[in-house]
Amino acid sequence: MRRTIEVVLLLTVAAACSDDAPPDRSVVSDNGGTLVVSVGGDPDIFLPPLTVSNTGRLVNALVYDQLAQIGASLNTVGDQGFEPQLARSWQWSTDSLSIAFSVDPRARWHDGKPVRASDVRFTHRLYADSSTGSPFATVIANIDSVSVRDSLTAVFWFGKRSPLQFFDAVHSISILPEHVFAGARGVALRSSPAARSPVGSGRFRFVRWRPGASVDLIADTSNYRERPKLDRVVLTVAPDFNTALARVVGGEADLLEQIPFASLPQIAANPDLRALPAAALEYSFIQFNLRAPGNRSRPHPVFGDRTLRRALTMAVDRERTVRSAYDTLARPAVGPTVRAFATTDTTLRQIPHLPDAARRLLDSLGWRDSDGDGTRERNGRPLQFKLAVPSSSKARVNMAVLVQEQLRQVGVKADIDQMEFAAFLDRETRRDFDAVFGSWHSDASPGGIRQTWGTKGSQTKGGSNFGSYENSVFDAHIDSGLAAMTLDSRRSQFTAAYQQIIDDAPAIWMAEPRRILVLHRRIEVKGIRPDAWWAGMGSWSIPANSRIARDRFVPVP
Amino acid sequence: MVAFILRRLAQGAIVVGLAATIVFLLIHLAPGDPFAGWIDESSLDPAVRSQWREAYGLGESLPTQYLRYVVNVMRGDLGFSLSMQRPIQDVLVDALPNTLLLMGVALTLSFSGGILAALAQAGNAGRFGDRAIGGVAMLLFSVPDFLLAMLVLAVFAYWIPLFPIGGAIDPILHDSMSRPARFGDRARHLVLPALTLSLLYFPIIARHQRAALRDVMPSDFVSMARAKGVSERQLLYSHGLRIALLPVIAMLGVAFPALLTGAVFVEKVFSWPGMGLVTVNAIGKRDYLLVTAVVILGSAFVVIGSIIADTLYKALDPRLRDER
Repeated sequence: MRRTIEVVLLLTVAAACSDDAPPDRSVVSDNGGTLVVSVGGDPDIFLPPLTVSNTGRLVNALVYDQLAQIGASLNTVGDQGFEPQLARSWQWSTDSLSIAFSVDPRARWHDGKPVRASDVRFTHRLYADSSTGSPFATVIANIDSVSVRDSLTAVFWFGKRSPLQFFDAVHSISILPEHVFAGARGVALRSSPAARSPVGSGRFRFVRWRPGASVDLIADTSNYRERPKLDRVVLTVAPDFNTALARVVGGEADLLEQIPFASLPQIAANPDLRALPAAALEYSFIQFNLRAPGNRSRPHPVFGDRTLRRALTMAVDRERTVRSAYDTLARPAVGPTVRAFATTDTTLRQIPHLPDAARRLLDSLGWRDSDGDGTRERNGRPLQFKLAVPSSSKARVNMAVLVQEQLRQVGVKADIDQMEFAAFLDRETRRDFDAVFGSWHSDASPGGIRQTWGTKGSQTKGGSNFGSYENSVFDAHIDSGLAAMTLDSRRSQFTAAYQQIIDDAPAIWMAEPRRILVLHRRIEVKGIRPDAWWAGMGSWSIPANSRIARDRFVPVP
Repeated sequence: MVAFILRRLAQGAIVVGLAATIVFLLIHLAPGDPFAGWIDESSLDPAVRSQWREAYGLGESLPTQYLRYVVNVMRGDLGFSLSMQRPIQDVLVDALPNTLLLMGVALTLSFSGGILAALAQAGNAGRFGDRAIGGVAMLLFSVPDFLLAMLVLAVFAYWIPLFPIGGAIDPILHDSMSRPARFGDRARHLVLPALTLSLLYFPIIARHQRAALRDVMPSDFVSMARAKGVSERQLLYSHGLRIALLPVIAMLGVAFPALLTGAVFVEKVFSWPGMGLVTVNAIGKRDYLLVTAVVILGSAFVVIGSIIADTLYKALDPRLRDER
């Protein structure tokens, strides 16, 4: 026993001393404090062309710069609303086939070397290099090349005129230091030291990543875009949501990026915390499978009929259902889009909630309750289907129960099939379902709709149009919208496309939830961008009189 | 004894090798290949995709892949973690010390606590103390692990905030602490996950130890010692416990890997950056090479646990010392 205790003590000592870095000398900062963010998982890699995890994207956004960043309006047409970042200014060529970006001469990498136009050229090549394997390569396919006019001017050359030229050049590409990555390609790039210890030009410097535990960033005090007001940002990993919430409620963390509605009373009861609702890019829907699950060459025996789908939509009181599930923290979805997009017309004509009309429509289609059991039948087939719902989403489960009851009242039997998220996803991607309660989280551009609801997404391998809605008119409006050179024409095309799909009712558009950030009251926040809540973190602050003990400690880099 | 340990180590190596082989085959027999998801998700052109497959040796036959895998593992090269984007050895080197620390403390606490509880029960057999300790042990035994972990977290980190809510160190202040303070910081963070794991395993040890003591105490040699005037306390502690410890020590071999498994949930709840979290993430992200490495490590734990148990068994039971 004594030996065992000795071993344990030795292990404890060994583990305690395992951090080989010497203790940092601490300084008291006059400007800022420490923001502790509770995140759900580790970052994957700090290499923007390859990063897919939320935590990784968050760190990249703080450490690296883009040439310009999208504005709060999320306009993606032309350069309207974009704010300069690494590029101090830009100049379009007369034929609009090139844009010359002037890099801010004050910009420095965190290792002290100046940022140059050659870094921009290198970055584009890295993103476009097929051996890098970047998922963004297809997004920037219209950028033919980047040339260097002088040490501070990088010129983007495009294959064709497109409304998204500017967006493609600045939004999808974070500028990387050529001297740090020089020589690394393909697989070697993934294991290069800078992929785990990034050297950027952003307002925060990377300090360290303790896998499974935390990521530490500090202010770049000599940053060309002005030092951030915060001294330090620490991301602490808490994979279990209850633990993450307990950390925030217990004061160990300052921010949790999203909490469910059910946890709000706990936040409201804590005088140190506040819940900050913000627009998000998410919408949920009950999607019908328009093709027979066992034989996709045939229409679904129930949902293949547009009139029936419209009748089901009429039976559902979306306003009341969403209110019941979210109170005021979500609104009924307006279609396969979100209100934050500049292309969304919020006055789109919806299929109204008219249960009596729904009953009449179902009668007219021959679906009648002939045996008096409450469920309609036609040719011996009951009007019954399975609705798959991921158990991970309490809101969707709750809404499904309410929808089930509303459908029952018009003689439709929906069996709720709650399943674990991975199983739900598997069912969706195999397209082996009658109906699913799905949800999409959009990127900053509405262009993803081609994959999620367009014919392309239905017919191509790996497409995300799981319900196989195919309508050439819808496709044409989307294509025209994406090709439109002005925001007005883009918006009108998207409006026509949305109206078409709403009328066809391949889904019941359910909720557009808001993001609820939980913050300690001492954190002063300026503006939350719907696509990236962390985008303005450089301007966040902690007033001096609100700082607590941990705000005084800043590691010396 | 040395020959015995060497023999058991050789047997253990075979067991670990078999486990690695089975996992390797299962993964390669599954639809697709270990890189399918990753490669398909990336927008790689077919030429690059095939280059990458070649780089990872996926274009070779299964026996060739297996031989290369075995050689690499024997050289200590477990491959590259696709989800963590770093060599698997580095991932394990980061996580393993934390899990060993957690398991070491939890094993010590659960075994010492369980044995002490059983001694207290045996010393008060049939009386209130026996029933009370038995009741508590039964209650802990029947509480689901997730509920216990959440309860411990709520009580000691939230309602009575004595200990940190999660993690292995204070992410803000740890680096600025003196060495003793860093030791204390780590110890404070260790308390709740270790306590939870111990409470999960303690009742099992206590019940087995109590049953073993009750079996041993009526033995002839105990009666003989009692007749010689040895006190009841000495009978229990010196005569009975020495023999009754044997079946409990045998449990050490099982407890070692079982705690590793149990640590998965506890590590998740307490955000303890150990093997449990690595395993959960590896499975979630279909990082097959990392999963394989974790299985190899797990089977090594089983082997080491059983060797430790057998060695202790031999040390405590003279009858087994000559057994080959």
